[in-house]
Amino acid sequence: MSDLRNKTPDLVVEGLKQGWKHIDASGLTEDKIFEADVVIIGSGAGGGNTSEILAQAGLNVIILEEGPLQTTRDFHMKEDEAYSNLYQESAGRQTMDRGIKIFQGRMVGGGTGINWTTCFRTPPSTLKFWTEEMQVNGFSENEMRPWFEWVEHRYQIQDWEVSPNANNSVLETGCEKLGISWGKIRRNVAGCLNLGYCGTGCPTNAKQSTLVTTIPGALKEGATLISKAKAENFEIKNGKIHELKCHAMNLRGNNPGRQSLTIKARHFVLSAGAIGSPAVILRSKNKILNPYGIVGTRTFLHPVNISGAVMPFPVHGEYGAPQTIFSDHYIETRINNKKPGFKLECPPLQPMLVSTTLEGHGKVHANIMRKRPFLHALIGLQRDGFHPESIGGKVYLKSDSTPGLDYPVSNYVWEGIRDAFIAMAELQFASGAKTVAPVHRDAKLYQNIKEAKIAIASLPMETLKARLFSAHVMGGCPMGEDSTKSVVNSKGLHHEVENLSVFDGSVFPTSIATNPMESIFAVTAKFATELANRLVS
Amino acid sequence: MLTRRNLLKKSAFSGMTLLALEVFYATRGIPTAPDSLGHSFEFLTPNERGILSKLTPVILAESLPESTEGRELAVKEVIVGWDIAVNGLPILTQKEIRKLFAVLNSNFIFSLTPRLLTGVTEAWDNFDEIEEFLNDWRLSDPDSLLTANELRVGYIGMVELTMASWYANTRSWSFCGYPGPPVLY
Repeated sequence: MSDLRNKTPDLVVEGLKQGWKHIDASGLTEDKIFEADVVIIGSGAGGGNTSEILAQAGLNVIILEEGPLQTTRDFHMKEDEAYSNLYQESAGRQTMDRGIKIFQGRMVGGGTGINWTTCFRTPPSTLKFWTEEMQVNGFSENEMRPWFEWVEHRYQIQDWEVSPNANNSVLETGCEKLGISWGKIRRNVAGCLNLGYCGTGCPTNAKQSTLVTTIPGALKEGATLISKAKAENFEIKNGKIHELKCHAMNLRGNNPGRQSLTIKARHFVLSAGAIGSPAVILRSKNKILNPYGIVGTRTFLHPVNISGAVMPFPVHGEYGAPQTIFSDHYIETRINNKKPGFKLECPPLQPMLVSTTLEGHGKVHANIMRKRPFLHALIGLQRDGFHPESIGGKVYLKSDSTPGLDYPVSNYVWEGIRDAFIAMAELQFASGAKTVAPVHRDAKLYQNIKEAKIAIASLPMETLKARLFSAHVMGGCPMGEDSTKSVVNSKGLHHEVENLSVFDGSVFPTSIATNPMESIFAVTAKFATELANRLVS
Repeated sequence: MLTRRNLLKKSAFSGMTLLALEVFYATRGIPTAPDSLGHSFEFLTPNERGILSKLTPVILAESLPESTEGRELAVKEVIVGWDIAVNGLPILTQKEIRKLFAVLNSNFIFSLTPRLLTGVTEAWDNFDEIEEFLNDWRLSDPDSLLTANELRVGYIGMVELTMASWYANTRSWSFCGYPGPPVLY
């Protein structure tokens, strides 16, 4: 065992030794009933954040988490372990037509445990759209500013002064050469060693996920964490939630186990994320929870397409902070929504991720994998939800009640994806790429921008041909003051059921148009503070 | 004319069920499962392991070790990795993979039927034949028992699971220039 591993404290393990309350539901041998003031379903950006605020306010809190409690010492930077243990459906979740592959966390810490530490405040244009078009109150830039400051302090969100890795530098160089705007990404890290393994769980406590910040904060105040326990449905009595039905997961944690749990509380907070939170409501099958059929609709993904490039110098994209440079040029210049805007960033390039993303098999695939040290990649994230032809997807229940997402990509969004292929190729060639490989079934390897542009213009923009991905799932329980068009109000309280709140990214009425973690932190901090005041008084 | 494409047409096999096909191919010399390396298989049947042992070298091509022993060991490890990965997937996804194998078998059998009917079973050892089949599958030849999208989804699923298993394996790392995770000094 190496030196640093020995010296890196494992906060959670230490805390458990000192009496923090944790139950691994997969180890239960009989059904159990629990009771608390508040039960929080989900321990990610929304749930973790909320748990500390409510516990510090003196409330008796239970935090329920479907995924396992894995901690700093469990993170070995092995892709296969991480995808299987820490991600929803082993990182293989897909939309109904299989056209979009979805990455979501499923662990104590939720998405914050496996994301790439990228922090942005909600863009002012998004807040403005919510206020002016989506009947949301209290979300002006001025009203949100103190909450952004608060969470930036709590999660150590700050400028990252270390030079970008070679992969990110390609984006920076390309933007400089083309004269388009770019910027540096702020990160929720402290003492980061620039290793590049944020996506497999940070092994050094540098990443300020909820696992090493607000969940310990809540546990210190006496909260109880129940891991490997999946919330199934609410039981309603007299117009309020009477209890929450859950089941334990099996030992491996990927499928249901045998035991059931019942949780009674004064108040219930859904923080299971987009897809997860709507699924609990849909499984509850009670009209009072979903009188207008809104739940699950308007689910957004920032659909991502990818462009790979072989550079004339080693890139080694497996190393170094994964996301440090971004460009919002194609958001700023398309803010009128005539064409969809998209954000440009880079992904990390460890071999499992690269090999399962690249198109094809055999000799051609192997040849690109052989060149992996010289491989660079760009991702384009579409700004969905701001146009009538971009209404997002719908959560549904599969035959075994597990959630699915039907997200048909509209022609409007497909054109944005085509534009992103072109924009990424331009940047990559401008930055000196020898070859550009758009991730598309029919794309070839292009040697210059002219050839690439002609080809991309006639590539069919269709599901399963242009490969799409998502690491940002948002919406499905939209907030707003019009109860016929929203599920919760501008405080995250359910319109009909007074002891239910939704505190996570499912409340967003549109996509955020940038990486959503900081928005989820800030919005749920606002919501939870308000709820704490209400419940304690 | 009895061509490969004609054989894949729906109408030619409208009466046959997948179960009948399983019996058909079970008696026709489908490759046997390779050594299990001591792993206790939870999902893959011996037939499925046999299929994978033939598909994997075509899917992974030059990324596999050059020597025969190296390649054979690598393929066995990929199949073990497959089993471990699939066992961690949601139950509904596991069912889809089961169906994928059944359909894969049936489609492949159809494409080779003339030779199988004559008792020629070396088709499974014909690398180029399998490569051609995989390419048709990747592009979703519409003249088959499945829709183009179903074919495409099956192809992507099969290839991704194989890639994931191989590139998670430390034996693949020198090929793709991956130094492995950093050692924390």
